[in-house]
Amino acid sequence: MPELDVKAPKITRPPDAGTGTGTGKPLSVTGLRKTYGGVTAVDEVSMEIAAGEFVTFLGSSGSGKTTTLMMIAGFCEPDSGSIVVGGRDVTRLAPQKRGLGFVFQQYLLFPHMTVWDNVAFPLQLRGTPKAELRRRVGETLEMAGLSGMTRRRPRELSGGQQQRVALCRALVYRPPVILMDEPLGALDKKLRDQLQTEIKRIQRELGLTVIYVTHDQEEALVLSDRIAVMRDGRIDQFDSPRELFEVPRTPFVADFLGAANFLAGSVEERTSEHTRVRLDTGGLLTARPLANADADGGRVRAAVQPGRIGLCPADTGFCTGTVETVTYVGTLVRVTVRPVGGADTDVVRLELPAGRAPAPGEHVGLTAEFTDVSVFPDTEDAGVHPDAEHRG
Amino acid sequence: MAGSALATQPQPQSQPAPTATPGRMSRLRRALAERRTRYGLLNAAPVVVYLLILFVYPIFSTLLLSLKGEEGGWTLHWYADAFQGANLEILLTTLRISAETSLLSLVIGFLLANAVTRLKPLWAGLVMLVVIVPHFISALVRTYGWIILLGEHGVVNNVLTDLHIPGAPFQLLYNEIGVVIGTTSVMLPYTVLLLYAVMRAVDRRLLAAAASMGAGRITIFRRVYLPLVASGLVNAGVLCFILCLGYYLTPALMGGPKQTMVASLIDDQVMKQNQWNGASALGIILLLLTFAGLLLLRLLKSAGEAYRKRGTAS
Amino acid sequence: MIGLRPTLAGRVCLAAFATLILLFLALPIIVIVVTSFGNDAFGSFPPHSWTLGWYKQLFADGSKWPAALSLSALVAALTTVFSLILGVTAATALVRSELPLRTAVYGLVLAPLVIPQVVIALGLFLLFEPASMLGSPIAIALGHTVLASPIAVMILMATLKGIDERLEDAAASMGAGRLTVARRITFPLAMPGLVAAAVFSFITSFDEFFVSQFLSSVDTVTLPVQVFNVLQYDVDPSVTAVSALLIAVAVVALALVGVVRRLGGSGRQDGLLPTETTVGLPAGNET
Repeated sequence: MPELDVKAPKITRPPDAGTGTGTGKPLSVTGLRKTYGGVTAVDEVSMEIAAGEFVTFLGSSGSGKTTTLMMIAGFCEPDSGSIVVGGRDVTRLAPQKRGLGFVFQQYLLFPHMTVWDNVAFPLQLRGTPKAELRRRVGETLEMAGLSGMTRRRPRELSGGQQQRVALCRALVYRPPVILMDEPLGALDKKLRDQLQTEIKRIQRELGLTVIYVTHDQEEALVLSDRIAVMRDGRIDQFDSPRELFEVPRTPFVADFLGAANFLAGSVEERTSEHTRVRLDTGGLLTARPLANADADGGRVRAAVQPGRIGLCPADTGFCTGTVETVTYVGTLVRVTVRPVGGADTDVVRLELPAGRAPAPGEHVGLTAEFTDVSVFPDTEDAGVHPDAEHRG
Repeated sequence: MAGSALATQPQPQSQPAPTATPGRMSRLRRALAERRTRYGLLNAAPVVVYLLILFVYPIFSTLLLSLKGEEGGWTLHWYADAFQGANLEILLTTLRISAETSLLSLVIGFLLANAVTRLKPLWAGLVMLVVIVPHFISALVRTYGWIILLGEHGVVNNVLTDLHIPGAPFQLLYNEIGVVIGTTSVMLPYTVLLLYAVMRAVDRRLLAAAASMGAGRITIFRRVYLPLVASGLVNAGVLCFILCLGYYLTPALMGGPKQTMVASLIDDQVMKQNQWNGASALGIILLLLTFAGLLLLRLLKSAGEAYRKRGTAS
Repeated sequence: MIGLRPTLAGRVCLAAFATLILLFLALPIIVIVVTSFGNDAFGSFPPHSWTLGWYKQLFADGSKWPAALSLSALVAALTTVFSLILGVTAATALVRSELPLRTAVYGLVLAPLVIPQVVIALGLFLLFEPASMLGSPIAIALGHTVLASPIAVMILMATLKGIDERLEDAAASMGAGRLTVARRITFPLAMPGLVAAAVFSFITSFDEFFVSQFLSSVDTVTLPVQVFNVLQYDVDPSVTAVSALLIAVAVVALALVGVVRRLGGSGRQDGLLPTETTVGLPAGNET
């Protein structure tokens, strides 16, 4: 693994993120570790999260994202490491002493209480005076568009409404950090999109610090200020969506976020500006500089997103091949091109605007801006799925 | 909320098998130290202690008493006694009446449970209500009801006489007919509940599928339905038999001298003859018969599973 | 045969047969209720004229019934308390925690349901006789608890399994401590189960005969033992009225469970009666 300095990450805060004047507090996690009977679930996870920031833990199941969240919530104890919320060390505190908010995938509304009572519950625990309680519960429910159904029981609500109530219940007591564990996982696509927008709006309005867990790349990209891509209990990269997409630091990140094409080859020339790679299919590809200095002349793989490859006349560009399939998906076409003399694994995937679709069988060249191409030493192949079955 | 239900993502199933005792010991100690385990032990303690004192220990002292001679020392004398003369006859009577009763309640229970699975939900619910409510009404009271019904001038005999059935009125009380009718009535809800649970689980489409292949009603019943509910039938039959073995009320109230069962004998020996050792031996014999029945069920279950496994393997 | 189109003759047979069996179950109960209001005690059925005399006689001077009734009520109340305590803790241990030897504990808890009750009664007699505790309501209740607690444990285990444990976690995440979670979340959700466990413990004890028979003394006799003695040795026509009262108690108890399950908590519990939890019970209240 190239030096992925996760212990002291630079904080890349987008300009529109919370300013610290909202209710959210900063959170910092240092060297968090958890093993279950010899299996390391979370391995030395560290991160600084600013007040009012929306951070997503993204990874497939077993990547350690949920375990990390549970440790922050206090539902399981870390073997080592510390968790500090708004300057207070909460590592060894029971969940109820941490004062955080939690939104569960399964909603977990109290079935014996009405919508109103569910939302009022955390305030009652805090001994909030009646008048203020009524005002805050009312406001919160109104914000979520639930004013009309305060007397209903959870089982009389749809899934989307239930999750809205769950959200209100976590918001109403203004916790310094709200944790969300795949809160939209049980909902259908349309409802999910709608609630994503709402969650994002409320988070911005109130300046909430949110940690969100999901395995859905699109959801992570839509919601987050920063995304921590997790794999095997570690953070592969913790950056803004744009940086993750454009400057992936590991092949896994390139693959997981964008379903990149991986092209095998060897380094032909290196400068501080760029790397030239002689591809196994014959062409020459220019890419960003190689991070790892040892890899000079070695085997590498170049990663480039399907949407960042363009067409050019045959025998120009980094590769020439035959168009195999053309699939219309709305305004885009998905195209596969088989390089001349290439095997099945060499097939390159492209996404082009629908107007510029080539015909199957056409002989085309492929081109890409060097800033869109990342190179990785070939030794580092863990976690890449050439067939990328997890693509959204 | 120590180690809550939420924190279960990676399962620690890939633990290495314990190779040496010290390793296992330390693992046990660590497990005990877990809050969740301590919580479990603390909560299990009352019921375990309670049952050890008021259930296990008394049975154990019954066992000891059954092996003690009148002048001290150990003996099997009381068991030999139990298998002799009048006592042996009572033992055999108990087995006979239990067999008759459980067979009868199994047959009637099968027919009723089967009928209920074919009824519309509303009717099925009502019928089950009529089955369940008596289940929770004192067996003593129900037995008394039968005594009123089956008397020489009771409802049953009156009806039979009015219908000019030859031989009516019959002697229906204080003989084996009375005992079997009364006991079956007491056991029936139990077998119906057990069988109904099994039958409701049968996928009725299987039967339609068999019919589509040209199987006749009897073939479908014999080759498809019966095998599907067989284990439930055996279960219900054996459990009913076990319950009858130690049953006291109905035989004592509705039987004659020839229907004395082991439970009555035990009662008699304790209350009237002060013969605790003999009573203990009889109790232990009942206990062993019960264990034998439960063991039989266990063996049949594992045999059935083995058979099914072989069936799928070949 | 089944799942196939029934014939008309088949249907008629089925209906007639089912009715007959239901009569077989219901008739002994009906006959007692009717006779208890009849003027001719053990006489013909249906009675020629009606009276409440037997019920009045129960509470007449010199009647043995009030003492037996109050003893039974006291014993049943004590049993309910004991069995709820054991049931709640045992169900919590079996459903909501890690328990070494879990299978063994579960087996021990359910064992009293399959062991012949005469054996249990004999063992209890051998335990309490030397302690001169025969006839003590406490001793009888302790004995009844052996029979009632497995039922309470089974009902409460089913109840606890039906309550999503993560609801408790959710409450904790909002700042509720253990006691608050128990009081505000677990207890209200478990209410129908608690009522059912209490009711079934109560009627198990109230109707229990064999253990009471062994643990009674000459002067302290529970209601079922008194009924038995009358049936076997005495002639006391008011026994019919007592039997009808026992039926009424059981029916009211079952109705109470039904109502609580209907109204109760999350509405996830369906069905009028706890058939699911009682199917596995070997005739808990009998013998």
